[in-house]
Formats: sequence, C-alpha cells, structure tokens
Amino acid sequence: MGKQKRVTELLSRVFCRLNDLSLYSLKAALLIVLVNSLQACATYRSRALSMRSSLLQGQPQQALAIAQAKDRRHKNVIASLDTGMLWRINHHYATSNKIFEIARQEIEALYGVSVTENLAAVTINETLRSYQGDHYERLLLHAFMAMNYIQLNDLDDARVEMLQADVNMQAWHDTSYNDAFVRYLAGMIFEALGQDDDALISYRRAYQRYRDKIGLEAPRVPFNLQHDLLRLTTKMHLWNEYKQYKKTFALNRFPSSDHSQNDGQLVIILNNGLAPVRGEAAINIYAREVQKQLRVAFPVYLYPKTSLMRARIRIDNKQLGLETVEDIDALARHALTQAMPGIMARAIARAVIKYQSQLSAKKHSDLEGLLMTVTNLITERADTRSWTTLPEEIQLQRVFLPAGRHNVHIDMRNAAGQVVDSFVQTVTINPHKLTFLIHRWIAPVKKQPVKKQGRKENDSQSTNR
Amino acid sequence: MKNGHFFTLIKKIMYPGLAAIIATSLLLGITACGTKVTRVKADSVTDLSGNWNDTDSRLVANEMIQDALSRRWLNDFNRKYHKSPAVIVGTVRNLSHEHINTRTFIADMERALINSGQVDFVASRTERGEIRDERKDQDLNASAATRKAMGQETGADFMLTGSINSIVDASGGKQVRFYQVDLTLIDMASNRKVWLGQKKIKKTIEKSSLRL
Repeated sequence: MGKQKRVTELLSRVFCRLNDLSLYSLKAALLIVLVNSLQACATYRSRALSMRSSLLQGQPQQALAIAQAKDRRHKNVIASLDTGMLWRINHHYATSNKIFEIARQEIEALYGVSVTENLAAVTINETLRSYQGDHYERLLLHAFMAMNYIQLNDLDDARVEMLQADVNMQAWHDTSYNDAFVRYLAGMIFEALGQDDDALISYRRAYQRYRDKIGLEAPRVPFNLQHDLLRLTTKMHLWNEYKQYKKTFALNRFPSSDHSQNDGQLVIILNNGLAPVRGEAAINIYAREVQKQLRVAFPVYLYPKTSLMRARIRIDNKQLGLETVEDIDALARHALTQAMPGIMARAIARAVIKYQSQLSAKKHSDLEGLLMTVTNLITERADTRSWTTLPEEIQLQRVFLPAGRHNVHIDMRNAAGQVVDSFVQTVTINPHKLTFLIHRWIAPVKKQPVKKQGRKENDSQSTNR
Repeated sequence: MKNGHFFTLIKKIMYPGLAAIIATSLLLGITACGTKVTRVKADSVTDLSGNWNDTDSRLVANEMIQDALSRRWLNDFNRKYHKSPAVIVGTVRNLSHEHINTRTFIADMERALINSGQVDFVASRTERGEIRDERKDQDLNASAATRKAMGQETGADFMLTGSINSIVDASGGKQVRFYQVDLTLIDMASNRKVWLGQKKIKKTIEKSSLRL
C-alpha cells in the first residue's frame, strides 16, 4: 500500500498547482511524477541483478551489503532468504542460519490467505502481496539450513531441519510439492547418524519422487541413489526389494568391489551457479467485460537456462564427475508455469478495475482521467520475486575412500573442457562414517596472490609431465 | 481544495468495493484469524506457536525430579554405601523435529537434585577440562596452602543420558505434536539401568487459513 500512497501523494501535489500551469509544464510535471514513481516502484529484479553482478565478480561481501541494506529489520522474507544465503556464501554458517530461521518464522506467520493483500493484488499490483516463498523454496530453505549445520559439524540439528521439511511435505497433502533432493539429503543425514532404517525410508521416497517427476522439473534418478538403495537393502537383508531395484536399475556392476570393509564414504555436494531471475513482460489482452484491449504486466523468465561449468573431481588416483540431483532452474520455471493461470486471472481483473477507474475519472474531467491512466500505468508492475541466490543446480557424488586424510581437487571446466577454476580441499575420512564436503561455486574469480600460486603449481605440473 | 477532491475521487472510484470486502473479511477474520493452540493435559501454560517452550521444559524437569527422588535406586545406594550418589550428566540427544535446548531442563534437574541434598553431581566432560586447566595453573601459581592436588576428583557412580523424540502428524493447517523425553540413569560400575524417567507431552495446533 505504501507505493500507491506515494504515487497518489505525488500526483495530488502536482494537481494542486495545475491551475497556474500551461499544458507544456503539465507534461513536464507528469514526466517528473512518472520518473519518480518508477524509482519508487523499483522491483526485486533490479536488486537481484545487482547482487548477481557482485557475485559474478567474486565480491560476495558486496552482494551481502546490497541484500542487508534492503531489509535491516528482517521483516521481508525474500530479503532474509537472500541475506541468509549470502552469509552462507561468505562462509558465516551460524549467522546464515540465524537469518534463515527468521525467514522461516516469517513464512510460518504468513500462513493462510491474506484478504487485504489479495485485494491489493487485483487493484494495484502483485508485489503488494507478502512473499511466502514457493513450495520448492520453502523446502530448500530447510535443505540449506541443514547444510549450514553440517558445515558447523552439528548433524543432530541438520536432522531436525530435515524432519521439519518432512512435516511441511506432510501438511501439503499434494505429493507433487515433495522434493526429491530434500528427501535424498535427509537420507544421507540419517545414514551419517547411523540410522540406516530412517535413511532407507528417505532414499525410497527420494527415488519415488525422482521417478515420478521425470521430464518435469527434476533430473532422472541419480546413479548414486540407485547404489545407495541397493547398498542399504543388502545391509538390511531386504532381498525382495533388492532384487526389484536391481532389475529396475539394470546395474550390472553392483555390488561394486572397489572399496574395502574399513572404508568411509565421502559425499561431495556442489551448489553450482545461480538460480534464474524473473523479468517483466507486458501484453495487451482483450477483456470481454469492457470489450477493449487492456495492458497487463506479468513475470517471465526472459532467458533460457545458462549452461553451467562442469566439475571434475580428483581424489588420490580417482577421477569423478558429479551428477545433478536438483535442478533449481527447472523448479523455478515450473513454479512460475504453475502460478501463471492465477497471475493472469488476477492481472485481467486488475486491468478491468483500473480501466473502469479511468473511465469514471474521465467523466469527471479529462485531466483526472489522464492522471488516473498514468497512475494505473505506473503501478502496473509484475511480481519478479523469487529466491535468486539459490544455486542453479545441486550436484553430487559419493565415493568410498580409505580412512585418513585426502586431498580433494575440484576442477571447474567450461563447455570446451578447459579448466577455468580449480581448488583443493582436505577431508578426513573415518571408517564406516559419512563425511560431507559441501561447496558453492558461482564464477571463476581472479584471486590475487592465492590464484597466482595455484597457477604456478599447475604450470609446474604440466612441465613435469 | 483540488487535493482533497482528488482523494475523494480515488475513494469513489477504486475503493468502495474494496472497503466492502475488507469490512466483511474483518468480520469473518476476527473469528478465524490467528494460530489457535489447544494443549492436552496441562495446567497453566503460555503457548504462542505451539513449538517447544519454557513450559514444556519446566514440566519435564518437575516430573523427572519428583520421579528420580522417589525411586528405589537412591535408598538402595544410601543403604549400601552410606553416602549420596555422585551423578554425571552425559548427552541428552535431541531426536525431535525441533531445535530444542536440552540443557535447560537438565540444569533445572541438577539444581533440584543437588538442593535436595540427596544427590551429588560431578562436572561434565566439557566442564572438567576448564577445571583441570585451572588446577594445573594453581600447581604453578597458587600458594601451597591453597593449592588443590590432582587426582582427587570424585568419580561418578551414575550417568544420566537420554533423548527427546517427537511424532508429528500434520495436515493442512492442523498439527498434532507428541513429544517424549526419556532419561536413563545407568550404574557406572555394572552398566545396570537403575532409573528410567519418561515425560510425554501432546499438543494440537490449528492455524487459520485466512489472515488480514
């Protein structure tokens, strides 16, 4: 409602002086109003794009500052989601979870359909509705909180997050809102805690979700998950289920004998890239109620999915790729497609209401009609909000390694196969235990001193060859 | 004058329908809005979101203390050794679906049991480290008369461990939450479980599907 107030205030201020003004100065005044109001109506998109450019330049602190400036009191869900994620990208996992928790509580408080906000959405524009996050975003909020806890070495609390995600999915009834990756992550956390029975249930549910969603918004059943199902059914002597999976997956190479009894498992999770940003489009549609073409604005994804850099992992003498376990780009696009009928229905209702208001104003005087037209035009903005600091894809690989310390080299490669960025992380593997290595990668960044050293190492390696 | 006129105009055109709907929704909303929490089997409580809170923690602590002090293990120990048992707090794992700070009711329990004069608590693993550091420091810096010697710690007779579990059934805006807190006192010498404390809490939570 604040935006509308500001616009009407500005308009009425101009209105007061109109008697003394010529037509020329009227035009100028209207132009000023228009420019001012456009700034006032700055959409989420512009903020998302400025955070994005900071991130792509390798300045996550700057992106964090942009997100924080918008919402110092943490009242705005979308700003909290971005701020939390940017703290995470800046490696402050505890702070990140604090902000995420605020976002979670705000989302909970926004439960239910708001009467006034919906009215505002059909009279002014959609951005006046509080942002509650789409289903996939609410689940991924728990997933990223869990990843924060994992990185803080607190598996019990990570488990809590997964249980909360489960309660959410339970309450929604509609199984199409279930998220395969969240189920899979829950399974891994249970397994890391030694709760194999819970882990198997989560893996089964993840499998069902991946299987049912094929072609829509999820990647196909990951090979890793297939192996996990076979491994756990073997371990728990569920032979009928094992046979069934083995037949469905047609995995001839299972059980893979490339690890010994005392090995531990490394789970590499790469949060790769950035989720897409919604843009605005406007079209003229024919409204039967007033028998006229009316202009409506609505959100769209302006560009197709950007191609990601692929990672190659080197551990000891092994070379591994990563599998996509969550395609957030597809989820975001799917969510918008699903929401589109509602958005368009509200947009048409809004256009008709706005048109009627212009007509009644015009009856009063031409000038008032013009002003109302301008107001309506300015306030017709699409809702471009979505959680854009999420990764574009979540990629994963699980591998058995002998107990002890290992250097994990991750090389990011472009479409031509050239290494554009590489980094090393040391992990300690414990026998029979799961170890997580979680990394966020957004863009190759020129790090001044560190990067140079890395290059030298690479050079010397190539000369050795 | 024109200014006021403009606002009346706006009001005339855009908001009569809106005002009417707001008024009706207000009437509806007064009865339907807000989260309604109904607690099952409890006396005086302050519930906001239905999450685990201080009331739950207090209920658990009270129940556990009374139960722990009234059971046989304490008398048995007193009769056998003619002294109070020394107890150490192990881990109380949170296996529920909420972030619960188990330290609050453990601290409540410790306080009540120590104050009863029938049970001694020894410092937990994390607390001990700091105390040992201090003793090492005393060894170097404190006068001989006030210096505390190493190797004089009281060994615990029993260890207290436990877990919080929860079962949640959710459907739309309705939820049933069931918490179960289990505490076990284990004899350090024989691994025998001498006391099992249990507290169950059940809540139903209803959220409105409409808000203003």
